[in-house]
Amino acid sequence: MAKLLEIRDLHVRIAGGREILRGVDLDVGAGEVHAIMGPNGAGKSTLSCILAGRPGYEVTRGSVLYQGRDLLALSPDERAREGIFLAFQYPVEIPGVNNTYFLRAALNAQRRHRGEKELDATQFLKEVKARLKLLDIGEDLLSRAVNVGFSGGEKKRNEIFQMVMLAPKLALLDETDSGLDIDALRIVSNGVNRLRDPSRGIVMITHYQRLLDYVAPDRVHVLSEGRIVASGDSRLAGELERRGYAHLGSAA
Amino acid sequence: MSAASAAPFVTAFQARRPAEGDPRWLRQHRETALARFAERGYPTRRDEAWRFTDLQPLTAKPILPATDQARGAPILPADARLAGPSHRLVLVNGRYDTRLSAPGALPPGVWLGSTAAALEMRPNVARAALDDVASASDQAFAALGLAFFSDGFILALEPGIVLDTPVEIIHLGEAPTPRAFHLCNAVIAGEGSRASLIETFIGSGPCWSNVTTILDIGAGAVLRHAKVQDEAPEAVHLSRSFARLHRAARYEGVTLTTGARLSREDIRVTMAGEDARLSLNGAYLLRGQQEATIAPIVDHQAPGATTVERVTGVMTDRSHGIFLGTVMVRPGADRTDARQTNRNLLLDAGATATTKPELTILAEDVKCSHGATVGDLDAASLFYLLARGIDEPTARLMLIEAFAADGIDQADVGDALSAQLRRRLDLWLDRAERRE
Ligand SMILES: Nc1ncnc2c1ncn2[C@@H]1O[C@H](COP(=O)(O)OP(=O)(O)OP(=O)(O)O)[C@@H](O)[C@H]1O
Ligand SMILES: [Mg+2]
Repeated sequence: MAKLLEIRDLHVRIAGGREILRGVDLDVGAGEVHAIMGPNGAGKSTLSCILAGRPGYEVTRGSVLYQGRDLLALSPDERAREGIFLAFQYPVEIPGVNNTYFLRAALNAQRRHRGEKELDATQFLKEVKARLKLLDIGEDLLSRAVNVGFSGGEKKRNEIFQMVMLAPKLALLDETDSGLDIDALRIVSNGVNRLRDPSRGIVMITHYQRLLDYVAPDRVHVLSEGRIVASGDSRLAGELERRGYAHLGSAA
Repeated sequence: MSAASAAPFVTAFQARRPAEGDPRWLRQHRETALARFAERGYPTRRDEAWRFTDLQPLTAKPILPATDQARGAPILPADARLAGPSHRLVLVNGRYDTRLSAPGALPPGVWLGSTAAALEMRPNVARAALDDVASASDQAFAALGLAFFSDGFILALEPGIVLDTPVEIIHLGEAPTPRAFHLCNAVIAGEGSRASLIETFIGSGPCWSNVTTILDIGAGAVLRHAKVQDEAPEAVHLSRSFARLHRAARYEGVTLTTGARLSREDIRVTMAGEDARLSLNGAYLLRGQQEATIAPIVDHQAPGATTVERVTGVMTDRSHGIFLGTVMVRPGADRTDARQTNRNLLLDAGATATTKPELTILAEDVKCSHGATVGDLDAASLFYLLARGIDEPTARLMLIEAFAADGIDQADVGDALSAQLRRRLDLWLDRAERRE
């Protein structure tokens, strides 16, 4: 059976600009949790954006297969409806678009795609309420415009809330742990752990060991200067915490 | 404009005169106004205030006043009316329509009726308002309107009266061939009174509505005033209002422009009393070849008054949205606080936005700001919606809706009027969506 995600020799550059990813190889199987670490500017967010389909990048070489299909041929919204979810490093504020309305539109778009019945406002609200409690999110955040005026931590929690609502096949979390207080980190980690199941894959981009204490990864990778320069099991994260990235540079 | 092109109007004026039972003073007003129009003619692009307005739909061939009533029994579409209770007047082709109107029971101290009725029942009120129109008639369209107006509405509130139920005025224009409807309206809000008013213009065919409205808002009075202009795509809509705000008066104005081939809202506000508060919100949502202008001129003459203007434009196809905002702060109007913003969204390469917020400050200790933006949908926002599985046309529409609504959602006009504005906005979005 095909892997959930197979990235082969992926080269990506900023449209009309320099090359950011310079030959990334990465496999994520169903049921696996991977962590990607690495120095600032290494290309971690670029990788997650490419997977989600953000415009402005050019793939110059390599391939990405998702459930055996060419992922790069799909539009961003098709990818999402096929089960890919990106929790943004910097969630954007969208004035005038109500959070609840937005999320219901998203959920129903995905349900339609899967041939399921759309949820009406009441059914949707029931689903929402159950999960809000789980993530300790105040109901007032939902009645506001998407991310507008949310604190840094609230934005991150809102991303995880959306993830839990949309129940993706492949979740990409780009520094979802950054900017969270200790309690919030635990709550968010619980959200991620609940999603963990044999049919799903999770890729967490992070700078900190702490998230990995809560959500134990199957694999840890180091992305540096556009390449994966080291991979290992969860012990690699602890080693990085102690020794930093510098010693890997020469190894690469 | 040459006298020759004014000739058809002069002929039309003479033809209609014997039929009218105007009082003498009004006949005089009309004659003076006509003479002024004949002498001045339409404004041209050489007039600074009309530089961006393409009057071709009017100048190509004179559009004469309607002399006949609408044929048949026109129907009032449900979505043109407030969903809840109202005091409703309906004007069909510029004349009060008894069958469609439902003024309801008005509390004592409130007078509401057609301008024609006011001339008989409240001649003093009508005369004061029309005198004001006359003194504003150096402006060509105000002059033409006064010369020819067939009707309109007048709302007069005695001091201290609070009218809870909204007043709703619906103008229905139906003309198979070009016809002009000239209207003169007035709202006289006595000291400390409160009312909310929504005007809706809809119709079919090449109508030209030419509307002049006098608003006098007494000390401490509050007037909430929404206007929906959704006339036929071939229609022309020119309107001007002259508002006067007395001490601590408050005027909440909001306009939603989605109709007419050519339209213009000239809003002239005099901040005559100390601590008056004005808020003007608006949105023009345009497509095809539509051109729409919102042109508020706010004249701060007294200290401590506040103006907040917030207008958004959404232009698709080859349409053109124009915002000409002037705030003038006269000597002595100290502590004035005035903010103007005009944000525009251009969704097609052929669409244009013209935006000219202007300030003239001749007083001390004032806070004034203005800002204008013209741009496309925010790419990061669009990607965020797509990344959650929402298809692109829907995502774009969500962002357009958010942008368009910004101008009108801020208006503090009460639930009934807000809901109706929202409903009209949704209608526009449905039309936009169907085309996509
Ligand atoms: N749109 C862009 N235009 C120009 N440079 C870009 C653009 N996007 C990313 N870059 C550059 O690409 C490199 C990789 O950026 P990326 O955001 O992927 O790094 P990162 O690994 O996520 O870093 P961090 O840990 O700081 O989040 C950086 O040098 C960044 O400046
Ligand atoms: Mg990053």
